[in-house]
Amino acid sequence: MRAVARSDGSHAIWTEASEGFVSEGGRLWFGMAISNAEGESAAKEGGGGRKRKRREEPSLAKWRTQGEQRTYSTKLVEALRRVRRSPPSGATATTDHARSRAVREAADRALAVAARGRTRWSRAILSGRTLKRRIRPSCFRPKPVGSSAAARAAAERGKPATLEKKARVLGRLVPGCRKLSLPTLLEEVSDYIAALEMQVRAMSAIADALSAASSAPAAEPM
Amino acid sequence: MSSRRARSRQSTSSSRITDEQINDLVSKLQAVLPEARIRGAERVSAAKVLQETCNYIRSLHREVDDLSERLSELLATTEASSAQAAIIRSLLK
Repeated sequence: MRAVARSDGSHAIWTEASEGFVSEGGRLWFGMAISNAEGESAAKEGGGGRKRKRREEPSLAKWRTQGEQRTYSTKLVEALRRVRRSPPSGATATTDHARSRAVREAADRALAVAARGRTRWSRAILSGRTLKRRIRPSCFRPKPVGSSAAARAAAERGKPATLEKKARVLGRLVPGCRKLSLPTLLEEVSDYIAALEMQVRAMSAIADALSAASSAPAAEPM
Repeated sequence: MSSRRARSRQSTSSSRITDEQINDLVSKLQAVLPEARIRGAERVSAAKVLQETCNYIRSLHREVDDLSERLSELLATTEASSAQAAIIRSLLK
């Protein structure tokens, strides 16, 4: 998996962060670590992840399992530790904005890794991520004012051009999905949405945990 | 499969994929949207579904951005050890 390229610095992190749940630490390869963690948590869940065939089944339910979220949170925490380590040295201009962008990108990358490369958006995230940042303002017009008549006329023509246009806008929102046909696009989109929802859940859980910790610093004997 | 590909190749604007297929996928997409869970199984137009999907994705992006801001602030202010303990605790729950 392409995630390996990003984990040259993370080898150290794996070993020192083997607090017990990322057990088999020292594994440089994200893929293997993922399957280990997933195997463990899936076993706890009663085989939710293992039993489900790992082939092309487009099951969105996988994004809802506890195990998947736990796996993702683990990866994200590691990435966050890396983010936190590099900036606070203070040399480069570490604005809050730059840091939150780094967090966002780490979160997205971890999400893409969790998808295991089976979807286009995840592969696009892992392999570049330059396109997503350029959000042109023209994207943000949901209803083109003044051309509703034209749109309606087009709709009557049978295959609505607006549908196509909206599909293009949608394709631009999802990374790596600009030139897809409609059915493929819709599949990618539903997977992407489920993944984003999991990302939101995981990140809010981590944020809550961190804010609880910072407001009540209790040293747990671990 | 090959017939489907042949059919889409023939079309000029890639819109000759069967409407039935599209409607099927669109209804599946609609099921994922949060509003579908509120409204029940109303048959909405495909354009509306796509629009709602766009809006939903954008709002999810915004949420993720807000959360990353929050996380970056928290990371900057909390200590390493307490942060670790808290995260481990939350993950093991």
